[in-house]
Parts: sequence; C-alpha cells; structure tokens
Amino acid sequence: MEDCNVHSAASILASVKEQEARFERLTRALEQERRHVALQLERAQQPGMVSGGMGGGQPLPMAWQQLVLQEQSPGSQASLATMPEAPDVLEETVTVEEDPGTPTSHVSIVTSEDGTTRRTETKVTKTVKTVTTRTVRQVPLGPDGLPLLDGGPPLGPFADGALDRHFLLRGGGPAATLSRAYLSSGAGFPEGPEPRDSSSYGSLSRGLGVRPPRAGPLGPGPGDGCFTLPGHREAFSVGPEPGPPGGRSLPERFQAEPYGLEDDTRSLAADDEGGPELEPDYGTATRRRPECGRGLHTRAYEDAADDGGELTDQRPAFPAVTAPLAQPERGSLGSLDRLVRRSPSVDSARKEPRWRDPELPEVLAMLRHPVDPVKANAAAYLQHLCFENEGVKRRVRQLRGLPLLVALLDHPRAEVRRRACGALRNLSYGRDTDNKAAIRDCGGVPALVRLLRAARDNEVRELVTGTLWNLSSYEPLKMVIIDHGLQTLTHEVIVPHSGWEREPNEDSKPRDAEWTTVFKNTSGCLRNVSSDGAEARRRLRECEGLVDALLHALQSAVGRKDTDNKSVENCVCIMRNLSYHVHKEVPGADRYQEAEPGPLGSAVVSQRRRRDDASCFGGKKAKEEWFHQGKKDGEMDRNFDTLDLPKRTEAAKGFELLYQPEVVRLYLSLLTESRNFNTLEAAAGALQNLSAGNWMWATYIRATVRKERGLPVLVELLQSETDKVVRAVAIALRNLSLDRRNKDLIGSYAMAELVRNVRNAQAPPRPGARLEEDTVVAVLNTIHEIVSDSLDNARSLLQARGVPALVALVASSQSVREAKAASHVLQTVWSYKELRGSLQKDGWTKARFQSAAATAKGPKGAPSPGGFDDSTLPLVDKSLEGEKTGSQDVIPMDALGPDGYSTVDRRERRPRGIGSAGEASEKEPLKLDPSRKAPPPGPSRPAVRLVDAVGDAKPQPVDSWV
Amino acid sequence: MSYIPGQPVTAVVQRVEIHKLRQGENLILGFSIGGGIDQDPSQNPFSEDKTDKVNGWDMTMVTHDQARKRLTKRSEEVVRLLVTRQSLQKAVQQSMLS
Repeated sequence: MEDCNVHSAASILASVKEQEARFERLTRALEQERRHVALQLERAQQPGMVSGGMGGGQPLPMAWQQLVLQEQSPGSQASLATMPEAPDVLEETVTVEEDPGTPTSHVSIVTSEDGTTRRTETKVTKTVKTVTTRTVRQVPLGPDGLPLLDGGPPLGPFADGALDRHFLLRGGGPAATLSRAYLSSGAGFPEGPEPRDSSSYGSLSRGLGVRPPRAGPLGPGPGDGCFTLPGHREAFSVGPEPGPPGGRSLPERFQAEPYGLEDDTRSLAADDEGGPELEPDYGTATRRRPECGRGLHTRAYEDAADDGGELTDQRPAFPAVTAPLAQPERGSLGSLDRLVRRSPSVDSARKEPRWRDPELPEVLAMLRHPVDPVKANAAAYLQHLCFENEGVKRRVRQLRGLPLLVALLDHPRAEVRRRACGALRNLSYGRDTDNKAAIRDCGGVPALVRLLRAARDNEVRELVTGTLWNLSSYEPLKMVIIDHGLQTLTHEVIVPHSGWEREPNEDSKPRDAEWTTVFKNTSGCLRNVSSDGAEARRRLRECEGLVDALLHALQSAVGRKDTDNKSVENCVCIMRNLSYHVHKEVPGADRYQEAEPGPLGSAVVSQRRRRDDASCFGGKKAKEEWFHQGKKDGEMDRNFDTLDLPKRTEAAKGFELLYQPEVVRLYLSLLTESRNFNTLEAAAGALQNLSAGNWMWATYIRATVRKERGLPVLVELLQSETDKVVRAVAIALRNLSLDRRNKDLIGSYAMAELVRNVRNAQAPPRPGARLEEDTVVAVLNTIHEIVSDSLDNARSLLQARGVPALVALVASSQSVREAKAASHVLQTVWSYKELRGSLQKDGWTKARFQSAAATAKGPKGAPSPGGFDDSTLPLVDKSLEGEKTGSQDVIPMDALGPDGYSTVDRRERRPRGIGSAGEASEKEPLKLDPSRKAPPPGPSRPAVRLVDAVGDAKPQPVDSWV
Repeated sequence: MSYIPGQPVTAVVQRVEIHKLRQGENLILGFSIGGGIDQDPSQNPFSEDKTDKVNGWDMTMVTHDQARKRLTKRSEEVVRLLVTRQSLQKAVQQSMLS
C-alpha cells in the first residue's frame, strides 16, 4: 500500500492514494456485506440443523413441495414451456429459502427434468417423493455417495456438498463463481422472491433479480442447510455462466460442469500433463469468466482443492476483485444468461441428493430439442459427462450423438455452436480413435473449419482448434484436415498470431508472436498432420505463408528468450518435419544435387575431394575473408572451405526458408536456450534432417553449423539427461560429420562424451538412467562414422578409453543391435594398422575385435561401415520401408515422432509398431543419413550471407536519455 | 506483474503527460529510459516505472531502441504515457483483498 518510491512522480502518488481510498471504500462495503451474509448463515444453520437432524422440519417442507408441484405440473406438461418454468422454479426456490421450504429445491429440480425429458408430472412426483424421503436420512451422503464435507443439514447441505465435490474434482473455478455470487448478493436486490412465474425467459430474468433475497431467505430456511451453502451456492451459480438454459434442467451439474469441461479441455489440448500450467489457458477460459483476474483464478483453484468448506472463506477475497469486472461483461449476455447462472445457484442450494440425472439418451435427445438453450445445455452437460470418461464417449458414439453435435456446429446461435464444439472437443480426445473417425464420417472436419472461419469469439476458436488438434492425432484424419483446414488454419491463426507480415511496414516494429491458446492448439494440429508423409509435407511447405510465419514465430521466441513453451515446441516440430527429405521433395531440388558419392567407407575421402559443383560461384572477397576467419582451427588443405550460395535475386521465402543456412542460427539458439526437451530434440532433429542428403544446401548447412559454433552446443547436449535429446544430437552429429572438418572437430571434442554415453549404457550412473537401445545404437553409429576414415579420430577413441567400453558392451549388452553396432566400431578401429601396436600393447588381441563382431552379427561379412550405412540409407532412399529402416534410424524417429507429433494421443500412440512403418519413418523425418553416400564433406565454403548473419549481434545501450 | 505471453495483461496504470523540451533539433523529455525486450532485465538500471503505452502505442513488447524512437518523435510535442509500477499494483491489490 505504501509504495511510492524515490522515483515516483507526485502525480502517481496522488493517484495511488486516490485509488487506495476508493478500494478501501469498496472493501468496507464488501466486508459489511460479508458479515451480513455470515450472520444470516449462522442463523440459518442452527435452525437447519435442528430440522434436518430431527426430521421435525419435514412436514413443512413436504407441504411446500406439494404446493410447488402442483403449480409446476402444468408446466411440465407443455414440454417447451417447461424450460422457462424451470427457471421460475429456481427463483422460487430462492424465495423458499426464506420459508422453511427446503423441499422447494426438489421441486425445481423435478421440473427441470421434466422440461428436458418432457416427461410429465409423474416423474416429477417421483422425484419429489424420493427427495422427501431421503432427505432426512441421507444427510451424510452427497449425491455422489461421498460423504458430505460438512455435516450440514440434510437437504441444503447435500446439494452443496455434492457440488463442492464436483468442483474439487474438476479443480473447478469456484473462485470465479464466488465472485459473481458475491456481486449478485451485493447488489442488494429487494427480497421479493417471485417464485414461480412459469412464464418465459423474461420472467426468468426476474427470477434472477430475486436472487439477492437469498441472504435473507437463507436465515429463515431451516432445511436449507444454508451453512456452507451461501458460499457454495454462489460459487456455483457463477461457475455455470456458460450454459444459460441448462440451468434448469441440470442446473447444478451444469454449473459445475463448465469447470470440469475446461479441465477436460486442458487435457485434450494434449499438452503435457502439466495440468496446472494449462489451467490458465483452458481452465480459465478467459471467456467464461472474464471477470476474474488470472491470479484470482489460480487462487480459487487451489483453495478449492483443499476443501469444499473453504469456499466460504474464500469468498470474501474474491468478490471484491471480481465483482466490479464481471458485472459489466456479463451484461451483454442477456436475461437468459443471467437466469441460468442464478438458477444453478438455487438448485445447488436446494438440491436434493437424490435428484435424478438425465440418462445419456435423454441428454442426446435434448440436442434436438426445439428450444435452443436446451440444446446448448445438453451439449454442455455432455461435455461434462465425457470428461475423462471413455465409457461415456463410446456410448455417445453408439447412440449416434456425434452427428447431432456436428450438425449443431452450424447452428445459428453462437451459444449452441460453442457448447457443441466443447462437447466435441472432449469427445474427440483420447485413445479411442473410433470417435475421431465418427466425427470425420459426419463431416465434422469441414464443419469445424467453417466454424473457425466464422467465429470471432476467442473461446470458440480455442475450442475448434483444440478439437482439430485432438482429431489430428489420428492418422487417417490427417490428410482430411489438410484438405479442409490447412489454408484456414494458416491464414486465420498461424500467420496472424505469429506476428509475421507479408509486407512488413517499416515504420512499425516487427510484431512478436502471440502464444495464445489458439496458436498453441493450431500449431499442435499442424504438427500432427505434418507427420503424415511426403504429400502432407509438400502441402504444408507449399502453403503460402506457413513456413514464413513459423520461422518468424520461432525467431520471436528466441528474441524474447521465451523458448520453453508448448507453442514453440509445436513450431519446431513442424519445422523439423518439413525439413525431412527436403533435398528430395522440394520442387527444383534436383538442381542442387551433388554428385553421388561413390563407394562408402574409406574411399570416400578422395571422392569427396574431387567433387566440385557447378553450383559454386566465384568467391568474392568478403566471402574469402569470412571463410578464412572461420576456419582458423582446421586443416585448411583438407577441405574446400569456400561455399557459395546459389545466387538469388529475391529473398528466400516459403519452403526455401526451411533450408537456408540462416536457419542454423535459429536452431542453435533454441538448442542453447530452451529447457523443453521436446524442443531440444526437435531442433536437433531439424539440423539432422537438414544436414543429411547430398545436395548443396546440406553442404552449406553442415558448414554453417560449424561457423556458427554449433558443434560445441551439440556436444554439450550429449550430456542431457533426456534420452531422446541425446539420441537426436548423436544422429545430428553423425550427419554433420559428413563434412570433413566437422568430422575432425567432432572426433576431437565429442569423443569423450560419446564414449561416456557408451559407458553409461552398461553402467548407468543412477538407476533408471540407462539409455534406450535406440539411443545407444545412435551413439555407436556416430562413433563409427567419425572413426571411419579418420585415423586421428580413431586415436581419439583409444585415448578416451573407448575400446574397453565397447568391448564390455559387446560382451554384456542384451541387445543384439547394440552389440552389433559396437562391434562394427571395433572392427573399424582394428582396421587401422597404425593402431594395432598400441592396442596390442594394451593387451587386446585381434580376436577381441573380430570375434566380437562375428558373434554379434552372425555374418561377419557385414562390414561395419556397410552395415551401418545400410540401415541409415534406407531411410533416405526408401523411407517407406519403415520396418527395415527402423532398426536404426527409423526407430529413433518414431520415438520422437509420436511424442512430438501427436500431442494428445502421443502417449497412447507410442506403441511404435502401430503406425505403418512408412508413416513412422516419415514422421520422424529427423534423420537422413544418406549423407554417407554423399561426397559432400569436402567442399564447405562459406557464403557471404552467412557472414552477415553472424555479425549482427550488437550490444544495445542499456539506457537512453530521451 | 506476471505476464503470460499472448494473454491480456491487467495492470494498474498511471497516466502521465509530458510536454517535450526542444533541444536543438530534438525534442527531449528529460529523463532516461532503460530496458526493452532486447535488454537483459537484470541489468536494468530503473526497475520502478514501466511504460505500457506512449501516445497509444503499445510499449510492452518493444526493443529499447524502438521505445526511444517512439518517445522522441519529432512530430509529437506531447507524449502521453501509461506508466505502471510494482508498488502501484501492490497497493491496489491489497486494498482489494483486505
């Protein structure tokens, strides 16, 4: 409060004080209100307890109920009418509170059911009866069958207890609700409870007004079980906001649901399971409770987690903040909305433990109800029911509910569309792919895309994109999404949110990416579909603006040092996927192909050397200088270090950006900055993809990684604790070592780390830290690559005490692949005659090297290098033969892919075997080792452009006089 | 104030209007600014006031240099700033929660 500091301007101080004063006033008012309510509660409690416990209170309630019933019954008959009535009832309930009529709540509930179901009085009566009977006895148990938190009075408390529980379960946003309630109560409406106007919505709104009485009514009502209720009730009422009409039929549930839904959503989002983190996005659903500040939200959440009882306490805090904000926003919603909100509260207060939930078929039938709010509520309730409940999801499909929901996506009323989409999001989540297929079969994808195009409402956009993300994890839907949604997703979401502008305005600052939920969902969806094979990649690459926007977003992330979030991860994964096989799939790629390397193995060197491409242009001075600068520590004569980029008359754009050497810096920045393992893995994978293949661009990329001092960055990541990061980096290093200078450098500086990983494979530093087979194999293959054809590197291996580690691995590994890969390396080492002397001095014999290989691989014939290469090459050349490839390269990719790609389902999907091999390999475009064949290493000449890029990090002034 | 990228920020702000001084060709405001999204926040010499808007331009995501240019535009003799500061925020929060 004090605050003002040295620097503060007088005006600021003044204003602060003024604001403080205002807030104090507000606070006082709130405090008063709170006390008032508290008093009421106390009063209410005692009577309630007595009546409830004793059962003495019952007679009265019963009578009351009957009255209500009679009135209602007419309403129930008219199905349509029912809806409206329900609200009225609710209001009545409120009023009732004043009276002893706890039972009222029962009535209201009943009504609602009727309305929904259209079942008439009978049901109502039944319900009522049940209620009455049980009220007395079942006090302790909530509807759930869970014990009530507070041993409140039978009726009222019950309801509340149950609700609370709901909240708790869902991590509900009680806070939000509370605040709202607060407002309403604070409004200090007259107590006039106009109970049941069975009129239409208009009347409903009135009912809302009634609400305020609640404070008053509560006190008197014995059976109300108001104790805890006040707080709870409010909370509920607020929460529900979303579903307007729903209030009546499933009032309380509804309310609670929204939260549940959101949670569900969260999970749907496929984010990592960081539930809590997500909350801000999903849970809060800005839209729903705009009024609550973020902070508040969270708080509410936490509190809720503790205990239902706490809600009451919380209430005070929230109200102040929320109230002011909330009110204004809500206004626009109209009377219905309001009604709904309140009605729920009423219900919750009154609700009997026993009221009957509508059966699933009934809920689905309500989706066709002629009254729109009923539809919306039914959909909202459905969303709730589906949350984390695979059984319900399945039944919804079996009952043919999905086409109904999809049809509602085009409904004229926004609320209906939104609710339907919310339900679809939950229904589309999970490992059960049948629902996804069913949504497709009824035209769900185009309908969702239409809705995205039409919707300006952010929540709807979040829901649509979330649903699409869920759907995108199912292989057969990927191309469908691309066909119908790629353009829209790119132009409606990715481009605008990325901050990229086609024609940047020089006056305005470059825009940064906005990591909105919509962007996250959309990028997740595209990430999934980008793994669907060559055609999918082609479509994405050629989608105008997509690559540009993704790159811009990533650059902005790096610039802001905000590289750990999910959106960045998604973007990098898309980039990695699109970089896969870029050297063969990009239009015009053949122009850049380099001569095929001849035989592999030791002969490669000479071949590499002789390669000279037509693509090289004369060097300019700048290039030369740059080049020499960069290469101080290498053996100049060994490489052709001057690379010329093909001349371009225009700046690269679109898919060309994927493989421009400039991207190297971006990926290296991510590798340096990010703490998100998936991002690290994807960035390393992108470099891996780009440095594979024998086309010019790969040559440039390999050289650029070195010039940008990327090798140390990669080597350091070999120490990562995350298996897949180690794997991706190891494979990237192998591809990079196709460049001769890289190979020398990697041999000198990375050998120790590589060998350490080999050692860890046998003796994990700590339990559970053993590297996966794929990773070990990747590391061994990398060692093999850098040792081949380089005596110096083979020496490095000996110095790093790699031989004992390899021999031990061959002897002890349970994995044939590991043993085989290790023995390949040993064989290669032995092939250097120069080394045999020292090896023998150390006590090694030839048998050790060759027998190992022989035993491990059976046919010793498979030359170490050859065997290795084979596995790799297939990926490049025949990516479709997933299985074969799989052994080395594919698998790693798979592993990556599933994770990276299908967010939601990834975990489920993991089973590598599932996808067709071809797909898998494609997904994980990571690795192309074709490099081997490529002669490339030889020539790496720096390009002028690279130089520029390198130079631009200039320190900025820390402060300026203005 | 915690800031979640992509999400609207709620901040308590103070309006400040400054008539610039003429100094040769330039219009100056007479104080120093620090920070900017390209700066290391821990090196920031001024941690108190944050400028959210200048003449309607959002300054929450600009580089230091962009901010400087925006503030010293020669075509604008007056700048209207929205300024926030931690203590202001706290004061408001406390009064709301107490």
